[in-house]
Amino acid sequence: MFKKTPVAAGLAAFASIIIAGGCAVADAGKTGNVDYTAMTSQELAEYLIFEANGFNVDQEVQEGGTAKQRLVQDEMHKACSVIGGGKPDQATLDAVRTAAAASITYPEGGIQLGDWQKGRELAWSGFGYRIGHNPDDHGNRPVGGNCYNCHQLATDRTGGTVGPSLTGYGKTRGTSEAILKYAYDMIYNPHAYFPCTNMPRFGSSGFLTQDAIADIMAYMFDPESPVNE
Amino acid sequence: MFRKALLALPVALALGATANAQKAPEDVLQGLIDSIDSSYLTQSEMNLMMMPDSPALWLIDDGKDLFHEARGPNNVSLETCDFGKGPGVLEGAFVEFPRFFEDTGRVMDFESRLVHCMKTIQGFTDDDPAIRTKHGNAADITKLQTYVASLSNGHAWNPPMDHPMEQAMRDAGEVIFYRRAGTMDFSCSTCHAATGKRIRASVLPNSNVPEEWTKAVSWPAFRVGHDNVRSAQHRVGECYWQMRHAEPVWGGTGMTAIISYWNDRARGQPAILPDMKR
Ligand code: HEC
Ligand code: HEC
Repeated sequence: MFKKTPVAAGLAAFASIIIAGGCAVADAGKTGNVDYTAMTSQELAEYLIFEANGFNVDQEVQEGGTAKQRLVQDEMHKACSVIGGGKPDQATLDAVRTAAAASITYPEGGIQLGDWQKGRELAWSGFGYRIGHNPDDHGNRPVGGNCYNCHQLATDRTGGTVGPSLTGYGKTRGTSEAILKYAYDMIYNPHAYFPCTNMPRFGSSGFLTQDAIADIMAYMFDPESPVNE
Repeated sequence: MFRKALLALPVALALGATANAQKAPEDVLQGLIDSIDSSYLTQSEMNLMMMPDSPALWLIDDGKDLFHEARGPNNVSLETCDFGKGPGVLEGAFVEFPRFFEDTGRVMDFESRLVHCMKTIQGFTDDDPAIRTKHGNAADITKLQTYVASLSNGHAWNPPMDHPMEQAMRDAGEVIFYRRAGTMDFSCSTCHAATGKRIRASVLPNSNVPEEWTKAVSWPAFRVGHDNVRSAQHRVGECYWQMRHAEPVWGGTGMTAIISYWNDRARGQPAILPDMKR
């Protein structure tokens, strides 16, 4: 359903409107000859984001390139953006799940647990990839995992409830190969299990390094970790 | 609470006859708390206690003086500024933003309209501190905005949708609200479409619950954590920063679309102006 109105087609459609109108609009407010009311809401949204100076798309970003690419949607983004909320149809969910599973790569030598003490700080830290007027300098600090923003882990710090509690994760689930793979996959690309989940894809987006994932997993699974007290 | 009485008085006197409008901001919030079970509305006992002494209340008087004072290169007051209900009509104007203005041919949020009047009526330019300084209690824009907003305290959000441009901007804002993108795959709805969820200790307002959402969109608000009064545009910018998306341009079309949608989601519920936030 969502797939039948691809954004690309919308973009093409309004690009021709602009050409027909014979003007390029850069000023924040001026609508010039571009008729907002002649566009669908999807087309207008894309226009405001990329063409009408709605966002500072030229800012440089940590991964190289400009902020514009942060606003360009990939296939998952398009499939999982349902206006009004909820999930897309089953066929779309299945496609998202399949693509996510295919995106996962494993470290050479298999999944490892790193240093839980480093993992503790990484699971707490929200540092990394923020831009705007106060951009994160990755030269200063490692990129954090933001896990506590959404999850409760060890109870010495207050975690969020957007995701389920992970308190006692290793203690209750054990450290079998299967559960380690599941946890790794969840961190790397959670859409492989929960298509259109709200949890970010920390591995396939390049947000976290393999070392950071190993440290965070140690924090979840190491018997010494306060998560498993 | 002597200060409370002192501060509440000018607000009450300045406001009109609607029942809600004679309440202080904390009374409007209390009414919402009584109407619905919401951990977002009640999350800060401390703020509820501090609201009668909110530093934002002091800005109302400062803003009022600034508004009526002859200023700028043209040495005139802002009394002829049309906020949509006719020149000089301030009561209830704030809750009817964003709105389409014939004279500019575009939908404007309140802050953009204020700046427009300061430029066209008073003759200020972008380089003047009056316009350039956008952040903090000391900024003219903060004071003026807090003053005019206070004259809509207790009024129901009612952004107009009569003009097709108003509807178009609201609908584009809705698309943007649900549009996932960026390094963390977030859209606004990732964090604002469920009730009682938290990011760390912060309870998230649900955009689908107007009684919660009216508090969420009630800006200007004294941000306790920032020790300053902030506007709606600050909050939009802050959430985009957390989302790792591109930064919305101040007064730009992205801001206007988002604010058109978010005020519409609070439609019918009383605004808390000025509010106090965490
Ligand atoms: C934006 C919120 C968010 C962030 C940040 C987040 N998660 Fe999640 N996480 C979720 C949600 C939501 C789920 C539940 C999956 C679903 O139903 O969509 C989940 C599920 C999980 C699960 C599966 C839980 C189970 O019971 O099997 C694990 C493991 C997990 N997350 C680990 C992490 C780790 C480690 C981090 C930090 C690197 C993290 N998450 C960051 C939202 C988040
Ligand atoms: C990763 C989660 C997250 C995302 C995504 C997000 N926000 Fe927020 N938002 C928050 C948090 C946390 C707060 C502060 C809530 C509190 O202090 O209780 C907040 C506050 C707000 C508020 C004011 C409520 C208050 O009490 O401070 C509004 C309005 C709002 N967000 C709108 C948006 C919009 C619009 C977007 C999309 C552009 C968005 N948010 C995206 C987490 C998020």
